[in-house]
Amino acid sequence: MKRVLAVALVLVALAAAGCGMSGRESILDKDELVIGVRTDLPSVGFRAGGKFDGFDVDVARYVAGRLGKEVSFLGVLAADREKVLTQGRADLVVATFTIDQDRKQRVLFAGPYHVSYQDILTRRDDTISNVRDLKGRKICEVQGANAAKRVVEERGVAAQVVPFPDYKRCLAALKDRQVDAVTTNDVILAGLAAEDGSGLRLANAQFNEQRSGIGMAKGDVAGCEAVNRAITDMYQSGTAKKLLDKWFGKSGLDLSTIAVPQFEGCS
Amino acid sequence: MTMVQVRPAPAPARRSVPGRIRVISGITVASLALLFAALAVGSSSARDGLRVIGRDAGPQVVASAGLYLALSDMDAQVANLLVIGRDYGPRRAEALKQYDARRVEAHRALLEAFELSGDNEAERQTVRSVLDGLGRYERLAGQALLLNDQANHAAGPPPDDVVRTYRTATDLMRLVLLPQAYNLTLESGTIVRRTYDEKALMVPLVRVAVAVAGLVALGCLIWLQVFLARRFRRVFGPALMAATVTTAVAMIFGVNVLSQDERALRTAKSDGFDSVLTLARARAISNSMQGDQSRYLLDKERADTYEHTYLDKSLSVVYYEAGNLSTYHQQVSSGTTGGLGMLGPELVGRDGAKVMRAYQDFQRADAAFRRLVTDGRANEAVAERLGRTMTAFGSYDQALQSMAKSHEQVFERAIGTGENALDNLWRLMPFAIGAIGLLVIAGVWPRLKEYR
Repeated sequence: MKRVLAVALVLVALAAAGCGMSGRESILDKDELVIGVRTDLPSVGFRAGGKFDGFDVDVARYVAGRLGKEVSFLGVLAADREKVLTQGRADLVVATFTIDQDRKQRVLFAGPYHVSYQDILTRRDDTISNVRDLKGRKICEVQGANAAKRVVEERGVAAQVVPFPDYKRCLAALKDRQVDAVTTNDVILAGLAAEDGSGLRLANAQFNEQRSGIGMAKGDVAGCEAVNRAITDMYQSGTAKKLLDKWFGKSGLDLSTIAVPQFEGCS
Repeated sequence: MTMVQVRPAPAPARRSVPGRIRVISGITVASLALLFAALAVGSSSARDGLRVIGRDAGPQVVASAGLYLALSDMDAQVANLLVIGRDYGPRRAEALKQYDARRVEAHRALLEAFELSGDNEAERQTVRSVLDGLGRYERLAGQALLLNDQANHAAGPPPDDVVRTYRTATDLMRLVLLPQAYNLTLESGTIVRRTYDEKALMVPLVRVAVAVAGLVALGCLIWLQVFLARRFRRVFGPALMAATVTTAVAMIFGVNVLSQDERALRTAKSDGFDSVLTLARARAISNSMQGDQSRYLLDKERADTYEHTYLDKSLSVVYYEAGNLSTYHQQVSSGTTGGLGMLGPELVGRDGAKVMRAYQDFQRADAAFRRLVTDGRANEAVAERLGRTMTAFGSYDQALQSMAKSHEQVFERAIGTGENALDNLWRLMPFAIGAIGLLVIAGVWPRLKEYR
């Protein structure tokens, strides 16, 4: 009797829950997730022969797999990341999307799934080892990124900022000695250096901690918690270390301590 | 054979009076059973909710937050010892004592967190991993302290080999152990939210079911009495009337207790647990901020990194739009809050104002401390760090703690009220069930006997 009643009540409850949630779908209710990934960052998120690949892409696959969902990828550039979420074109964005308080007002962040740092890429013969060493030196700024500005404004280091449209031209300028350093997220630099292959040096200066989160539509608390559990699994099972070694093991990035991400919280 | 059975079967029930009494009594007993079954389901659901939220997840938040604070303070004390050097004797002894005390606390909190993690495998693995790491941390910290003693340096940054050893230790603590302790706290929040959402849906539904089953049972009892009154020309059946009244009372009491529990769960979560969790997280992050102050002083090469993590954490606790720490310091001392950041929604009322004032004080002390460091006055900076900033942090932490205490009390009271209501209900329910059963028999049996 009790069991029958409980079952009946649960059915009613589920129906009611279904009705209540219909306005705002959780990623948990979907069979397939559209995940936004970068296409312009070697080793992190790039497209090779029509296929998406890179560290972020592997993380996205792992998370979707833990949630038991199929995946299709959507290529995004830095400027599109918020838009694809707010317009509902992507369910998740795994695209070196740095968590900050300003963005948190518009997007929900699960994770972080990886803690990286702002770092410095220089020529092999250069002695720059610290953000302070950039004083009076020329650093490249990629339009739309704020990394170079953070050196000058946040750290108060008087470097000369030289603007370039993208990282490719930045790297060419670095090799031509038009600039002395490129600064941004360390995994991006590691990927660029590995692709370039001419022996550029990552300083491992590790200033400005950057927490890369998984962007989601605001309000999907249950979905965000499930993604966090998937990320916990990724670190506990050693998959995170394996993926970092796979993509950045030979890039000069210091992987001696794999930082466990401290979650941002879903509410 | 089957044909024979089908035709005459309903006939006796329709015709004979005892048959009809039996059928009506049967339906009445069934509806009463439904009532008490619904009540039992509702009660066990509510009790389950109160247990998960009040006895598992709630204490787990306190245990894991305690773990974080103890771990974070261990690392801060090691950093303090390294910058104290050979000067400030009493301070040194104090820091050593506190390091040992925190170590004991951390071990206890780990044991407790492990017990509370029950059969949650991910939580258990996290606790195990912290336990393993803590052993390694203690070894590394011990090495750094030993090298520091041998260096016998003046107050201020220690020699490079000390800094390098400490770096390995603090990296392990800050990048591996502390995040796991913090995530353990958050996981408890997840468990509470899930349980609450489930119960907030389930309990009201069961309450409606209890009311419906109760009304059906009352209807049946009345139907039985009306039938008996007509057949046997008796106006009153005292036993059945008493059964009816008891059923009505049981139903009203039951519905009442379920709605009381619903309220208790809501109060425990929204007015208690949510704030307790937020304040535990804020305390954890703030504690690692004061550690970052010592580390900033200690490790020149990484000073920028530690200053940035300090700013980043400050922004997440109380948010202002500020691109660097000095702008942030100015914004904080200007006083107005936009209600953003973790503490934003909590900074209301007198307690909130007190916390905010203490936070402003702490940030002001931080600004003064950093000025001494950038001016190269290391010895004074150490004194400032161990003096004013530490005191300011102490009173800020105290303010956070007393705010958390009041929410903890609300939480515990709500859980207690909910559990008491259920206890009272089920202290009386067996008697009600027995009484109603006996009364129904007493009302029906003599009538059936008249046909023997």
